[in-house]
Amino acid sequence: MKALGRVAAVVAAGATVAGCAGGPGAGGGDDKISDGKVVLAVLNDQSAVYADLSGKSSVEAVNMAVADYKAKYGDKAVAKDVEVLSADHQNKPEVANSKAQELYDRQHADIVLDVPSSAAALAVAGVAKAKKKLFMDIGAATTELEGAQCNKYTFHYGYNTYMLAHGTGDTVTKDGSKNWYIVYPDYAFGQDMQKNFTAAVQGAGGKVIQSDPAPFPNDNFSTFLLKAPGLDPKPQVLGTMQAGGDLVNLVKQYNEYKLRDKGIGLAVGLMFITDIHSLGPDALAGTKFTDAWYWNGSPGNRAWADKFQAKAGKRPSFPNAANYSAATQYLEAVQRAGTDGADAVIKQLEGHKFEDAFAQNATIRAEDHLLLHDVSLAQVKPASEVKEPWDYEKILSTIPADQAFQPADPACKL
Amino acid sequence: MILSRLARRPLLLAAGLVLALALPWMIYPPVALDMACWALFAAALDLLLGFTGLLSFGHAAFWGGSAYAAALIAVHSGLPFPVAALGGAVFAAVLALPIGYLSVRLRGIYFAMVTLAFAQMVYFVVNQWRDLTGGENGLQGVPRELFGLDLSDSFVFYYAALPLLLAGFVAVWRVVRSPFGRVLVSIRDNPARAQALGYPVERYKLLAFVLSAALSGLAGGLFALGHGFASLESVYWTTSGQAVMMVVLGGIGTLWGGVIGAGLVVELNDYLVTVGFDGIGIVTGTIFVIIVLVFRRGIWGTARDLLAARTGRRRPGEPGSGDTQDGAPARTPGVGTPV
Repeated sequence: MKALGRVAAVVAAGATVAGCAGGPGAGGGDDKISDGKVVLAVLNDQSAVYADLSGKSSVEAVNMAVADYKAKYGDKAVAKDVEVLSADHQNKPEVANSKAQELYDRQHADIVLDVPSSAAALAVAGVAKAKKKLFMDIGAATTELEGAQCNKYTFHYGYNTYMLAHGTGDTVTKDGSKNWYIVYPDYAFGQDMQKNFTAAVQGAGGKVIQSDPAPFPNDNFSTFLLKAPGLDPKPQVLGTMQAGGDLVNLVKQYNEYKLRDKGIGLAVGLMFITDIHSLGPDALAGTKFTDAWYWNGSPGNRAWADKFQAKAGKRPSFPNAANYSAATQYLEAVQRAGTDGADAVIKQLEGHKFEDAFAQNATIRAEDHLLLHDVSLAQVKPASEVKEPWDYEKILSTIPADQAFQPADPACKL
Repeated sequence: MILSRLARRPLLLAAGLVLALALPWMIYPPVALDMACWALFAAALDLLLGFTGLLSFGHAAFWGGSAYAAALIAVHSGLPFPVAALGGAVFAAVLALPIGYLSVRLRGIYFAMVTLAFAQMVYFVVNQWRDLTGGENGLQGVPRELFGLDLSDSFVFYYAALPLLLAGFVAVWRVVRSPFGRVLVSIRDNPARAQALGYPVERYKLLAFVLSAALSGLAGGLFALGHGFASLESVYWTTSGQAVMMVVLGGIGTLWGGVIGAGLVVELNDYLVTVGFDGIGIVTGTIFVIIVLVFRRGIWGTARDLLAARTGRRRPGEPGSGDTQDGAPARTPGVGTPV
C-alpha cells in the first residue's frame, strides 16, 4: 500500500510538471512563428560510415549559421528564438524515417537538414511531403530527389550523381584522355554514376572501352586492375565510382599494381576531402575529381573555414559548408517571408539567387528545387606540395552553375 | 496457491493486451509499431528456433521479401493495406516452400548456413532488380489506405495494424499448443524417436518452417507499410541476426521471451539514438554477452524459473504443469547447445 502511494505521488508530480511545462509554450507563441520559435534539425549519420564526413561537425556549422543570422539582424530578426536539434540515423532508412517524423511532430522542427545516403534521403522526403514541412537534403547524391520522387517540400542542396559524373567525365576527356575503363559498385549509386559518366565521356568525344560492375562492398579489386592494361585499345584512364572504404581499397591496390606508371591515370567519381585525409595525399596524388566546394578554394571559403576550425577543430568538408549555407538560406527566407510557415518560405526560396560562403553564382531552381551553383574540378596534390594540414587539393577549373547540373527532369512534378 | 497459478495466465494475457493497446500512448507511435512488428517476427522465429530446434539465419528473406511484396501490392494495386500485408505473408510462405524443402534435411550449423545463403540470394535479387524494387534506394511512397481512409498517421495505423499482429500472435500460440506443436517439440528433442513413432519428421519441419516464414512475412509486410517504404536493409542478413538476438535475449523456446527481447532492443536503440550516444553496438553487444553468459535461459526464461523456484512447485516436464502450459519444454536448449 505504501509503495502504491509512492507511485501515485510520482505520477501526480509528473503530471503537474508536464502541465506547467505545456502552459507557456502553448500560450506564448505568436501566429507568424509556429510554437514561438524556429527549429532547425540536423538529421545525419553520427555513428556509421558518414560520421566523419558530416555528422556532428555539421551541427556545429548550422549553429554558426544561426549565430551569424542573429548577429546580422539583431532586433529586426523575424526568428528571435532559434533552436538547433540533431539526431543520428545510423545510416539506416527506417531510423531516418522514424526520426524525421519525431523531429517534425514532437520536437516541432520547421526544417530537417543533411540526411546522407540516398535511401534515407528518399524516405525523409516522403515524410516531409506528408507533414508539409521543409527538408533540405545535402548528404545524398541521388537525382531521384529532383526527379521522379521530387516534391514541393524537398530541396536538394550541394551535389548529385549527374554533377559528379559530368564534371569529371567531361573535363578529363576534353583534356585528352579519350579511352576509359570504368569500374563501379553494383548498387543504385554506382549504376547511376556509371550511366552518367558514360554519357559524359561520350558527349565529350571519348570512348568507354568497358565498364565492369564490382560487388559492393568489396575489398579485392585485383581482377579489374590486372585486366585494365590488357584491354584493347588500352585505356588511358581508370574511372572508379567506388566510395568510402571501397575507394580506399581500390586506390591502395591501384598503387600496388603501379598502373599510373603503366600509363593508366585515375579518375574518381565521388571523393570527399575526408577520404584524402584518411588515405594520405600520396596514395591519391594526381587523381582528378569533382568537388562541390573546397575550403581553400577562394579567400572567402578560407575565411569561413577559419571560423569553422575555431569551433570544430578541423577543416570543413563540403557537406559542412553546405549545411551552413542551407541553414543560412532558410533563415534568410524566413526573414523575407516574415513567417516560418512552410509554404510562404518555399515561395521565397524558389528561384532565389544568392552568393554565400558555400554557394557561388547560386540559384534554387523553381522547377525541381535543385540548388545550382559553381563547382570545381580538383586534383589531389602530392605530399611534397602540401603546405599545411588539410591542404590536399589543387583547383584545376571552375564548372559554371548552368553547366554543372542537369536540366530539370520533366518527370518531376512539384 | 493453485488458484493463483490458475489465475496467472489470463492475468498475464490481459496485461499483455492492455500493454499492446496502451503502447502508442506510452512511447512514440512509429517506435511502438516497430516494436509490435519485431515482436511478432521474434515470436515467429522462436516457433522454429525454440520449438522445432532449427536455427534459421535467413529469416530476413521472409520479413524483407514480404516487405517488398506488400509494398508492391499497395503501390500498384491500391488495395487496402490488410490485403497487401496478407499478400506479403502469402508471398513469404511461397518463398519458404522451396527454401525450406532444400534446407530442413540439414541440421545445426549447416541448416543455419544454407538458410543464410538463400537469404543472401534474395538480397542479391532485390538489389539488382532495380526496375521493380528500386535497388539500394528502396521502394518509396507506399500508400496506407483502408477503404478510402488515409492511415498515414502512425498512431492511427498502429491500431489499424494491431488486429493483424494479434492474430499473428494467436496463430503462433495455437500452433505451439496444438498436437502439431507437441510433435515439433518431440522432433526437436529426439528426431530419431519421432521418426520411429511414425511421424514424417521432414514434412513436419517443413511445415513449421513455412508457418514461421508466413508469420515473419506478416510482420515484415506491416513494418514496410507502417514506414511507407521497403528498404534493402530489410532483406540484409543483419535483420536475420537482429531477430535471432531478440529471441536469445528474451529466452529461446518461451514464445513471449521474443516479444520482450524485441521490446528491449527496439526501445534501447531508440533511446540511444535519441540521446545521441554513438556506440549503440557496444551497448547492445554488452547486454547480449551478459545475458548469454549469466542468464542462459534469457530474460523471460530466467524470470519464470525464479518464480517457479519461489513457489517451490516446479515440476518440469510434467504435462499440465505451469511450465509446459505454453509448450515450453523442460529442456529449453541453452544458447550454447547446438540446435
